Amino acid sequence: MKYAFYPGCVSRGGCPELYPSAVKVAEKLGIELDELKSVGCTGAGVLPQNISDPINARTFAKAEQMGLPIMTICSTCQGVMAQANYRLKEDPQYRDKINREFLADEGLEYKGTTEVKHLLWVIFEDYGIERLQALIQRPLKGLKVSPFYGCFLRRPPEAITPTKELNRRKAYLDELIAILGADMADISGKGKCCGFPILSANEENSLAMVAKHTGESKQKGADFMVTPCPLCHLNLDGNQARAEAQTGQQIDLPILHLPQFLGLALGFNPDEMNLKRHIVSTDEVESKVSMMS
Amino acid sequence: MEVTFKVYRKDPEKDGKPGRSNYTVEVAESATVLDALLKIRDEVDSTLAFRASCAKGYCGECMVRVNGSARLCCTAKVPDYTKKGPEISLDPLRNIPVIKDLVFDFDAFLWNKIKAVKPWLESDGSSVNGENLLPDSQMQDMRKVMSCFNCGMCDEGCTVLPVDFNFLGPAALTKAYRLAFDPRNKNSREQVKIVEKPKGIWDCVHCYEADEHCPRGIEPTKRIVALRDKAYHAGITHETVARHHKSFAASVKESGWVDEGRLAVESEGLTNVKGLMKLLPTAAKALAKGKAPIPYMHAKRPDADRIKKIFEKAEQEEK
Repeated sequence: MKYAFYPGCVSRGGCPELYPSAVKVAEKLGIELDELKSVGCTGAGVLPQNISDPINARTFAKAEQMGLPIMTICSTCQGVMAQANYRLKEDPQYRDKINREFLADEGLEYKGTTEVKHLLWVIFEDYGIERLQALIQRPLKGLKVSPFYGCFLRRPPEAITPTKELNRRKAYLDELIAILGADMADISGKGKCCGFPILSANEENSLAMVAKHTGESKQKGADFMVTPCPLCHLNLDGNQARAEAQTGQQIDLPILHLPQFLGLALGFNPDEMNLKRHIVSTDEVESKVSMMS
Repeated sequence: MEVTFKVYRKDPEKDGKPGRSNYTVEVAESATVLDALLKIRDEVDSTLAFRASCAKGYCGECMVRVNGSARLCCTAKVPDYTKKGPEISLDPLRNIPVIKDLVFDFDAFLWNKIKAVKPWLESDGSSVNGENLLPDSQMQDMRKVMSCFNCGMCDEGCTVLPVDFNFLGPAALTKAYRLAFDPRNKNSREQVKIVEKPKGIWDCVHCYEADEHCPRGIEPTKRIVALRDKAYHAGITHETVARHHKSFAASVKESGWVDEGRLAVESEGLTNVKGLMKLLPTAAKALAKGKAPIPYMHAKRPDADRIKKIFEKAEQEEK
């Protein structure tokens, strides 16, 4: 199994613990990663479509040349690329225009065959749960975990869950929690926004969302929350203290990246998964995990 | 079939306290939730208040939460909600002031917000025989947006409204889209500026819940994104957002990807001491954990010049 790996800016910027954890987990699973290095930012929903679509088309064309599907580890990269890819695949005239105007002078052409998949989808749809189960060395029994998807792994429907059977994607994280042996602390906002996109436009609302999700999870007795989106992580972990101050409550809920969560079950130590690099202390999680092994 | 409807009640003329009434009625297998409500009001309790008009899924009047999810109750079939047992809960929409029972304050919910986006078109004056027609190709998009019947499902699904009821919300912003993108509107730039103010397009988290909720497939989130793109190209007038977008764009243009340290600092504004101080506690913690990206120490991606070329060409095309 081999993918053109698109790690995204945040996995080495604001969440530098994510990139190495993801690489280690992929290696353990036997998923080969060929990193896309000479490609651009997806635009992250900040850059307008007419700028980000051609930049993303270039990324898809590069992966197409490699003959590999793209694997992401960020719900935002995933969502923005999936939407761009949907437009480019659905509308050959639009694709032609972008090829002609933006890619041709580099000798590139996007034919519309590249698939873009988040690690979470790769595990369920390509890798297989049975293979994963066979590699679990430390079932996370007794740990209570809240899922938090990040909007772009669930919506918009035409790009994210194009067929009815793929609607199951909306529950992969819930399923994974059970597969890795942990208990679920379900929260009402698991598919909602973490608030990160409006951090600069309306900080108060953004932090209110952080408090709402992490507070509810804590109330339900979660040991930690797991997210496949590093932007959610930046807000839910990095800004949790500010959200606590704004709403006058103490939350202290550790937030784990999806690969870290997988990694712990696959037998990696918390240190190997860089848990120490989080803003909210992960000490309690670490001691519970170390008692398991 | 016999079904018990557990209906939210609140009567301002009595004590005004919220409660619940249970009504067990016999309804046909083909009945809608609205059929049941009408039966309850006509035969059991004439004090029960709810809104309804066309009963055909067209007017958008009768939205309530059926077992927790917002639905037009004239199209919600009773048997679809009784699979777990013969009980259905009916509640007014979340986060909206209730007038009585299932009737909520539509002014606060929608009309005041729609008024705030100045929902009228000032013609550019180009009329023929008193008519100002658009070619069908341009009208198609307008027609889609104009098919909104103000049911408010998009606002109901909105992620921002539960934390900030003053956010204009997807319904009003979609109305603004219709005016900002109508080629006959001579003030489309003004229209965009109105929704760029706080509580407008930049407060939207673009989570696409609205698109999933809209019963007409109008895709309100995509309309908001289009308004933002239009604002970007015309020059963003929201101060903080303008700084953020400018920094983001500069970083991608120069290096191919995002310099997050730089983005954090420049979004606050390099001369905004108060704003920068606010970043310090988190930045200090991040630094201690070895995870603070240092601004302007950002390596170029290979092929960054290619990205820049695409970026600049796309920007140029829009002008």
